[in-house]
Amino acid sequence: MAEAKTHNNSNKPRPRILIYLAIQIITHSTIVSVICFIAGIVALLLLPVLAKNTYISENALMPGSATNMLSSHDVAEANKLVKDLTDLKLRSNGSPIESRKLIAQYMLGLDAEVTYHNFYPQLNQFHPLHFFTSPDSSIISKNISCASIGINTVGIIRAPRGDGKEAIVLVTPYNPKKVVLGEALSLGVAYSVFSLLSRVTWLAKDIIWLVADSQYGEYSSVSAWLREYQAPQFHRVVVNSETCNESSTIEGNLYSGFRRAGTIAAALVVKIAEDGNHFDDSLNIYAEASNGQMPNLDLINIVNYLAVHKQHLRIKVSKMWSLLGSKWLNTLGVFWECIGQYARRLNPQWKFGIPANEYVEGTATLASSMYYQGLGVPTGPHGAFRDYQVDAITVEISPKVSPTKMNRHIDFIFRGGRLIEGVVRSINNLLEKFHQSFFLYLLTSPSKFVSVGVYMIPFALLGAPLPIVAASLYMFSSKATPQAPVASEVDFSLESWKWINSAKKVFVIHLWGVAVSLLPYFLCRIPGLTPTNNLTVWGSFAVLSLVILFSMLGYPTSVAVPSEAEKREWANLKSVTLSAIFIGLSLMSVINFATAEIGALLIVPFCLMARPLMLDIQARSMRTLLLATCNLALGFIAFPPCAFLLLKSAFDSSGGYNISDYWNWMESLWAWNSATYLYIGIVHLPCWALCIHILFHPS
Amino acid sequence: MTKKKKVQWFWMWVIGSVTLRLILVYFPRNLNLSSRPEVSTPLTSLRRLAEGYWLKRSSMSPYAGSMYHGSPLLLALLGPLTVTRIEGQPDQLLCSLVFVIADVISATLIRAAGRSLQAAYSSSLKVLGLHQLSETSEVLPSGDFAALVYLWNPFTIIACVGLSTSAIENLVVVLSLYGACKRLASLAAFGWVLATHLSFYPSILIIPVILLLGYGPDAPPRKLFQRRIKLEVGNSSSIGSDHLKEELKDQSSMLKVFAWRLVVHFLIWILLWSSYVLVLCGIYLQKHGGLQELYRRTYGFILTIPDLSPNIGVLWYFFAEVFDFFRSFFLMVFHGNILLMIMPLALRLNHRPCFLAFVYIMISSLLKSYPSVGDSALYLGLLGLFSYELKDIRFSFLLFAGYVGVSLLSPVMHNLWIWRGTGNANFYYATAIAYALFQVALVIECVNCMLNHDRMVTKLTTTKLKDAKS
Repeated sequence: MAEAKTHNNSNKPRPRILIYLAIQIITHSTIVSVICFIAGIVALLLLPVLAKNTYISENALMPGSATNMLSSHDVAEANKLVKDLTDLKLRSNGSPIESRKLIAQYMLGLDAEVTYHNFYPQLNQFHPLHFFTSPDSSIISKNISCASIGINTVGIIRAPRGDGKEAIVLVTPYNPKKVVLGEALSLGVAYSVFSLLSRVTWLAKDIIWLVADSQYGEYSSVSAWLREYQAPQFHRVVVNSETCNESSTIEGNLYSGFRRAGTIAAALVVKIAEDGNHFDDSLNIYAEASNGQMPNLDLINIVNYLAVHKQHLRIKVSKMWSLLGSKWLNTLGVFWECIGQYARRLNPQWKFGIPANEYVEGTATLASSMYYQGLGVPTGPHGAFRDYQVDAITVEISPKVSPTKMNRHIDFIFRGGRLIEGVVRSINNLLEKFHQSFFLYLLTSPSKFVSVGVYMIPFALLGAPLPIVAASLYMFSSKATPQAPVASEVDFSLESWKWINSAKKVFVIHLWGVAVSLLPYFLCRIPGLTPTNNLTVWGSFAVLSLVILFSMLGYPTSVAVPSEAEKREWANLKSVTLSAIFIGLSLMSVINFATAEIGALLIVPFCLMARPLMLDIQARSMRTLLLATCNLALGFIAFPPCAFLLLKSAFDSSGGYNISDYWNWMESLWAWNSATYLYIGIVHLPCWALCIHILFHPS
Repeated sequence: MTKKKKVQWFWMWVIGSVTLRLILVYFPRNLNLSSRPEVSTPLTSLRRLAEGYWLKRSSMSPYAGSMYHGSPLLLALLGPLTVTRIEGQPDQLLCSLVFVIADVISATLIRAAGRSLQAAYSSSLKVLGLHQLSETSEVLPSGDFAALVYLWNPFTIIACVGLSTSAIENLVVVLSLYGACKRLASLAAFGWVLATHLSFYPSILIIPVILLLGYGPDAPPRKLFQRRIKLEVGNSSSIGSDHLKEELKDQSSMLKVFAWRLVVHFLIWILLWSSYVLVLCGIYLQKHGGLQELYRRTYGFILTIPDLSPNIGVLWYFFAEVFDFFRSFFLMVFHGNILLMIMPLALRLNHRPCFLAFVYIMISSLLKSYPSVGDSALYLGLLGLFSYELKDIRFSFLLFAGYVGVSLLSPVMHNLWIWRGTGNANFYYATAIAYALFQVALVIECVNCMLNHDRMVTKLTTTKLKDAKS
């Protein structure tokens, strides 16, 4: 025992295995981070290969198990409605009241409860904190004139077997001022289903048919109705009744209040595309709601299942078209295919690898899925439902020929109606809320998805180097400080608190980011500014304030000969910056995963590489010069406007882009309360500025 | 000169923090902080207090309907303010002002306590002969520092603006510690009684307060003084100066003696104050079940954890999951956890009663049944008091980043679970566990660092003594 003790004492105590491993990782941080980063990109490119086939997870749904009951009578009635609507357009030149009356009459004919819902379209306003608060019912625009009233027509069928606690919503956007055949047809499809449902005995959930007045946009009318449905407002805005007698002319036998059914289980937005696609009758699904939220995958699954297996429609989700033709993607697809074949030769059980063309298509779909989720802007009126935890999608039926040239509307309505009927019947079987399947997923094709467990891997690999490099830099900066001479019995140095200075800097720059992202709120109040002007004012304010801040924080250029400690300061600053971006990215990955993934791709390499250019220039070797150029290029790419324009030019082949597009893009982001906007302003931009600061650090 | 400058800046910072609070108070709707689970627990929510006051005014028991669980005194103090509205001003403006004032008073008390602690510590180091150490210990104005940390801590600001009564609970805890530092038995007793009455957990602070009153403020381990004095007595006897000898003897007697008189005073004051508080409560609740109802609805509510709505603690989830027949067992385990740590810590840290109080507060805010950010605000503020001793704390940056990360992630996870419905309770609970882990890491590092500091002082004194002997 004693011997062992002395032995231990003579040697340095061996660190425990975990600590040893951690130290090893931290000391080899460069290699680890390079490996992690490359692995992250490879894993990202592998996602289409790793995608799984969708399956219907909730057993209660039982899609397609019942025979369709939609009769030719329903369809004939629906066709009559379509005809009446189009005739009305020809006859009275599309008076909105007339067409509204007509729809209400048709609804009343089915013994439905019909009401009108008046709403005032809200201007899109910037609510920076909207994400963190509950859906707010108290926002209302101040000056309401009567001309701007929109009127939704709502029909409700009470379920004979239900207790009125649940409901399914069908939405057909419809502009009464400018009736087009596509919208009339979508009304026809919805009407045929509605007519069927008013008769059936199996209905367990109430059916609400919302004809959304889309003259101020499809989204705003649906969201106004939903707001009234879910969060009624008791202090109404009083509108001058004299000027608004339009709404009072509606026939008196209608209930004037707001009618409700039960909790909304799901919602379907039905649309018919205006122009034919020349291939085949097909179905487009739009699912992305605000901030990259998706409806439950089961909802997409049942639509997909019924459309493909019952109605033989081609089903589509949006794709990045520009990626389809890209050569390198094809090469990559061939490469994966080869690897897959090789793997299968080794072990036939391994189902790895998909055909190259499928890979390319999957990647294009995945990219689009990621882009629309990352944008955080809903892709249709279904987005309004997700704010109230209701699963909703838009199904857009796109016929082979344009509806105007279609000679038999009946067949088309029949097909569409059967699909909607099947979906409604399936949702009607639900016993609980949609919860069984995934909420967090990316689509690579209508029948393939990547779940959260898989798509987190690339992000985790991209993000993992950040804390590692931060730790190694922190150790470097604290180790490298010259030890104070031990002459005194105590050295009074706040060794462990040296990061405070850097943290202060990082905090101030993040505050700057907050100020910069709030500025457009005030800029928009100034009338008569063009996007270019706005952008110039915004940009110059940002740069000016940044310069002032840096001079206040003591930009170390004033020091003639930087001392050893100041030389090391950049390492400390970088370590704090890396921690900040790590926290920011992980936060964003919870809020909107796709944004975090794209953001990580842009900012992580720059953050990891950033080091003072002076160091590289002083060294004057090939490697360091290459490093410096690399840094500059990455810094250029990571700058948000540059990144935007580069991505736009890469993926949007239409061309003709200028800098004011950036302002418009940002404006659309904040108008939709997208968290992506906050991410760019509060996380991405400050971290970029800090990295640039490190790049030009004198040391 | 430098000190004066510091003070000037200090008041500027205080005014700044008050201004920030007042600005935030004017946007209660936009921030909606008072309904956040991080800020308002069933015990600290002002909305519940307003409800209790309303019940009381309509001559019902304020505890009817399991809405209010706080003290009747708070009801009498803040209740009238919840119903007074000023035209054109935010609803709860007066209450917010009370909380702002409470925060400022706590900060000034912390500052005063910190100053006396620092002075005492530096003089005790001088007694040990560590003059250089005593000088360096005065470089950092830890009192000012702690007060500013308390005032500018986002947790404190959020708790204050979010209308949580924890500002007042913190104030009485700080009052008790301040009284003990200044050796004012009545004030310390008053603070302790009120703190125990308001939030129950501070009752364990009786040990550090008694130690503070008995032994005086934080100092290096006592045996060092004894050794030192022994040596000096020996030296002086060899020299033979009677005057010096007597002085030293005085000193030694002072150090050895536990100030029983003060402690007895303190205990008597506790009796007086608690009977006073109980009589007041009894009068207030005379028609509504009296003191028994009070105990059942406040202490009983704290101890049996019937409200399982999510908060930043770790107990709600556990007790939501646990089978009912194990419930009482685990209740005992979790509360026993706090009690278990009292004795060992008291033995190990009895020469540093103030630090002991800090550790107790931290542990109780970690294992509390309904914790809120207000509790973290208190211990983080007190942490500043020991900035000299804890200057070499390890992982400070990691802990800081962890606190920042968790406190940002937690509301997002809550949003994901409650509003979006895409997450579930596990998401939110994961952040609560992470938060608890960081708290545990912080308390361990603090104690570790403090013990290291003690070791360092011991080493220095022993070498000094050896030098002196040889």
